[in-house]
Amino acid sequence: MMLPIRLYGGRVPVIKENPMQYMLLIYLNGAELAELDKADHAKLHQEYTAFTDSLKKNGQYMANNGLAPAAKAKSVRVKNGKAVTTDGPFVETRELLAGYYLVEAKDMDEALGLAERIPGARHGGVEVRPLWSNG
Amino acid sequence: MQYLLLIYTQESDYAAMDKKAAEALSQEYGVFTQGIVKSGHFKGGERLRPTNTATTVRVKNGKAVTTDGPFAETREQLGGFYMIEAKDLDEANGIAARIPGARHGSIEVRPIWPMN
Repeated sequence: MMLPIRLYGGRVPVIKENPMQYMLLIYLNGAELAELDKADHAKLHQEYTAFTDSLKKNGQYMANNGLAPAAKAKSVRVKNGKAVTTDGPFVETRELLAGYYLVEAKDMDEALGLAERIPGARHGGVEVRPLWSNG
Repeated sequence: MQYLLLIYTQESDYAAMDKKAAEALSQEYGVFTQGIVKSGHFKGGERLRPTNTATTVRVKNGKAVTTDGPFAETREQLGGFYMIEAKDLDEANGIAARIPGARHGSIEVRPIWPMN
């Protein structure tokens, strides 16, 4: 993918020696989350904010987003030049993609260390994928 | 509204492409990207390394457990994404259908959950 520019909030990542960039994909168990009450959610939100702030402070932050529930997802496929849209996520799994962080880390180990601090690592799992643009 | 367009295609298809086909595809992505930058829809986008470079982390009882590979094994794999600004889901779907990967696989369109 040729990308002319990065527009993550207009922020240019801090250039470090040999920076590597990773996508941390947060998968959450919907049933487990449904059991959380309002106070749990508020605490979770605080944990996420604290995590995001620490990434920013350390110059590791590129972008992050939470996704609306998978029930609001649509999938688009183009077959013989015609777009076909279906409701729901592309992959039906017990745990669903709920958000992501884009981070800079010096290597995979550092990225994994960040991933395990994401609250979602306790409620599902975090997949760590290097970006193609590395090296 | 902001939407995340998740591109799912078969990694094995891409690996089997010859150099010329891979270059043509890369060019198509370039044209698509330039198009949505020009139209003001583009917010960001990245291509991901194949799933064989993925590691998954789970924390159980306060202990981190890492496993090789993606979180979910699927027939088609997440290969990249675009973040876009669109006025509604219909416009987002229209943009998704123009991504070259929509012909080879599927694009999942997810609204962003605004935080703060």
